[in-house]
Formats: sequence, C-alpha cells, structure tokens
Amino acid sequence: MNVQFKKGVLELCVLVLLDKQDHYGYELVQKISDQIQISEGTVYPLLRRLTKEEYFTTYLQESKEGPPRKYYQLTDKGRGYLQTLLAEWYEFTNGVNHLIKEGVKDE
Amino acid sequence: MNKSEFLTTLEAELKGIDKQERVELLQDYEAHFEFGLEEGKTEEEIAKDLGSPRSIAKEVKASYHIEQAKSDGGIQNILQATLAVIGLGLFNLIIVLGPFLALVSMIFSGWIVSFVGIISPLLVLIDIYIASSFELVNLFAAILFCGLGLLLLVAMIYVTKFMKKVFIRYLSYNVSIVKGGMKGD
Repeated sequence: MNVQFKKGVLELCVLVLLDKQDHYGYELVQKISDQIQISEGTVYPLLRRLTKEEYFTTYLQESKEGPPRKYYQLTDKGRGYLQTLLAEWYEFTNGVNHLIKEGVKDE
Repeated sequence: MNKSEFLTTLEAELKGIDKQERVELLQDYEAHFEFGLEEGKTEEEIAKDLGSPRSIAKEVKASYHIEQAKSDGGIQNILQATLAVIGLGLFNLIIVLGPFLALVSMIFSGWIVSFVGIISPLLVLIDIYIASSFELVNLFAAILFCGLGLLLLVAMIYVTKFMKKVFIRYLSYNVSIVKGGMKGD
C-alpha cells in the first residue's frame, strides 16, 4: 500500500486502539505493525503531536523488567476527534468500495 | 545500523528544535530499543523496523518549524519552516519554492515602490541643487507620488501580514500532504 496513504491512517489506528484501553508506546507500535506494514519510527512523533493537541494524556508506570512504560490515555477531546475521523473513514471507504463494485460489474 | 548509531543520527538531525522536545523524543526511541531487546530482537532488527532516522527527523522538524512560524511569524521562523518543508522531498521543493519566491518578490517590490514614492520630493530638491532647474509640475507630481507612496506603505503592512499567514497555512497544508494527513491535520 502507498506509504503516504498509510501515514494518515496511522492516526486513526492509534486512536482506535486507545479507545479500548490505555497502551504504552511500544505496545501500540507492535499492535499496528502486526496488522499493517509501517515504518515504526513514525508512530512516536505522531503520539507526541496528538498529546500536545490534548487528545491524550500520559502517565508513567514502572515495570519489573525493562524501562518504565509511558501509557497513553484518550481524553474526551480525543474521543470526539476519533468519532470525526471514523465518520470520514467510513465515508471514504464506502465510496471506494462502491466504485470498485461498479467497476467489477462493468467488466 | 545499531542502537547507538540510530540514536546519534537522530539526535544530530534533530538539532535546531526545542531541547526538551528533542530529549523526550529520543527517550521514546531509547525505550523502544529496550522493549525490543527484551523481546529478543537484535538492535539491527529494531532499527530496521523503525525506519530511517533521517526521514523521521525531517518530518519532526517540518512540523516543529511550522508551529514556531504560526506562534511567531518572524522572518527567521518563516524561512526555517520553508527550508524544513522543502527538505521533505523534491515534490515539496517544486511546489513550495516557486510560490515562496514569487510571494517574496511581490512583497519586496511593493515596499520598494512605496519607498521610492515617499522620497520623491527629495528627488525634486536634488534636481534643484544639481541641475538648478525647477519645474512646478515636478513638484506637484512628487507630492502626489509621496502621498500614494504613503498609502501604499499602509497597504503593504497589511498585505505583508496577510500573506505571511496565508503562506504558513500553505506550508502546513504541504506537510499534511506528505503525511498523507486527513482533514484538520
């Protein structure tokens, strides 16, 4: 899939994952890269940007092994933003699916 | 590329952004390496999956400089933002540099015309001293140009401010194209 296109979707993926439960950075990266091929490094600047825009808050949690984990928690503002993005996403994919169906019928 | 190569490159490429921002971002990547190592991956594998530290830094810098230009539209900030966006790739070089140069030269010539108008009465004085000739028509024309120059000066102040805002918005639009960003990015 096109790289540029995927990066926009990345934002949506992060928000969706955090809607269910809090995650730490590494966990988010792994969950996403299990499903789609990404440059994992692009996730961290995205997380910082969305935190700055007050879509997330963060908190640190010590773990027995390894470094402390920085957890991301979705705010109400973030939830609202997720709803907007989801609506756009459905509109977009429905449109594309529709076009694909039409195209296939014509052949 | 191993962990220290990745982090050193990233740190070097991130020079110029706010120190705290840089330190925190580097901590994120350092933690990422540690989590990965714990899972039994090698440093090289982790670095490969992260992608090029140079392109990560380029995107971070472009967003950072645009934020700076938005909060303080000084010439230096706008220039830095422009360079950062151009640095993202050839595509941006083409669609950013052109409008930038056009805009700058338009604004520059506006200011020049206005200043020349304002000092035109001086030219009449110089004319009297040097050529010791005096034409009333020249004086009236000079006063007219002076007035127009002053009006243009006031207009240029607003035009410059407005163009600055438009250009910064254009830059962030560019970054969102590169990010493949969605609306409101």
